Amino acid sequence: MAKHHPNLDFLTAHAAGSLPLAQAACVAAHLNYCRDCQRLVDGLQEVGAALFEQGVAEPVNERLLDTVLARLDEEPPLHFENVRPAPKAPPPILQRLMRGDFADLVWKKVTRTLSISYLRTGDPSHEFALYHIRAGGRIPLHAHRGDEITLVLQGGFSDADGDYHAGDFLFRQAGEESHAPTALQSEDCICLGVLDAPLRFTSWAHRWMNPFLHLRPG
Amino acid sequence: MSPEGKHGQDKPGAEGRDDEWSECLVAIANSGDRAAFTRLFRHFAPLIRGFALAGSRLSANLADELVQEVMIKVWQKSAAYDPARAAASTWIYTIARNSRTDLFRRLQKFDTPLAAEDVAPDSGSEEPFEQVQQRRNGQRVRELLATLPVDQAQILAKVYMEGKSHAEAAAELDLPLGTVKSRVRLALQKLQLQMAS
Repeated sequence: MAKHHPNLDFLTAHAAGSLPLAQAACVAAHLNYCRDCQRLVDGLQEVGAALFEQGVAEPVNERLLDTVLARLDEEPPLHFENVRPAPKAPPPILQRLMRGDFADLVWKKVTRTLSISYLRTGDPSHEFALYHIRAGGRIPLHAHRGDEITLVLQGGFSDADGDYHAGDFLFRQAGEESHAPTALQSEDCICLGVLDAPLRFTSWAHRWMNPFLHLRPG
Repeated sequence: MSPEGKHGQDKPGAEGRDDEWSECLVAIANSGDRAAFTRLFRHFAPLIRGFALAGSRLSANLADELVQEVMIKVWQKSAAYDPARAAASTWIYTIARNSRTDLFRRLQKFDTPLAAEDVAPDSGSEEPFEQVQQRRNGQRVRELLATLPVDQAQILAKVYMEGKSHAEAAAELDLPLGTVKSRVRLALQKLQLQMAS
């Protein structure tokens, strides 16, 4: 069970459909791990439905109905299968973006224990990437220039504030303190990170990399 | 999603919504009933058009385009509608919301492998107990909505009907972001929608 959740602002924007695509995909992935948040999102969606029902009815030209009726033959009803995802598999939204499993991705080595794989969501202002941290490995001490969402997908990590496991959703804003997440000793950790500005390494050993850190949105 | 033919009057014990719109959707799924589709269209097309025009983000032509797209999806996807899981209007709302998001992204020339539906799929529970809870939630939200103070109702309309982010709503209403966030939270609290602690 996830212990760290998106806040109500995220869930409301998600239910209303206004969250930026990369962030929405990350919230959707969290919902696969968290029944409580899914239930709340369902409730928040009812607010939209209620407002929609009670909204202003704008007159529709009768010809539009004819146009739609004429198109129905070309648009046969679809059939739906009830597919249950395997319990340990990555959330469906990620499987879709990865077109396979974690092992099939191209991983770019950043340090001895950290590799990154960028996924394309089409969101023009957010980078969407997977981080693979070897068991016990550490991400260099870094600060945030913008907003960062982290979702743990496999294994877990800890930083000065606590331990995080699969399904945990963390949100850090620009200017929050530097942290150095360290993967748990027992297994490799895979996280999803969504950024709207590049990280900034704050340790002397890694500062030289800062000018080379660019956001890779899209 | 339920396989074809699983729902409808033949489903014993299901407290399916027997309101007119659910019956229309089931009739479309079971027999491609065009008269039922026409009834749905006459009721929902103006609401979808109103939703599209809220906040003046779409032109009249694009609003008509959205109406067509949503109603055709309603036709195509009717077999996925399960009256036990959602009110017909909730189901149609989610299709309208997702289609509008996709339309906004097309207009902004997003090149994305994802549709809004992939990110916000139909999620209703399959557990009968949760379905009952969910229906109660929906009824409660509809009842309580009328009791909200004007300033809170106004913000919810911006967020849901106009699809504005909290920051956009703040800019348009000339309010601090914190005020918008707290009004939304207060409104949701009154609707009894809160994080499980």
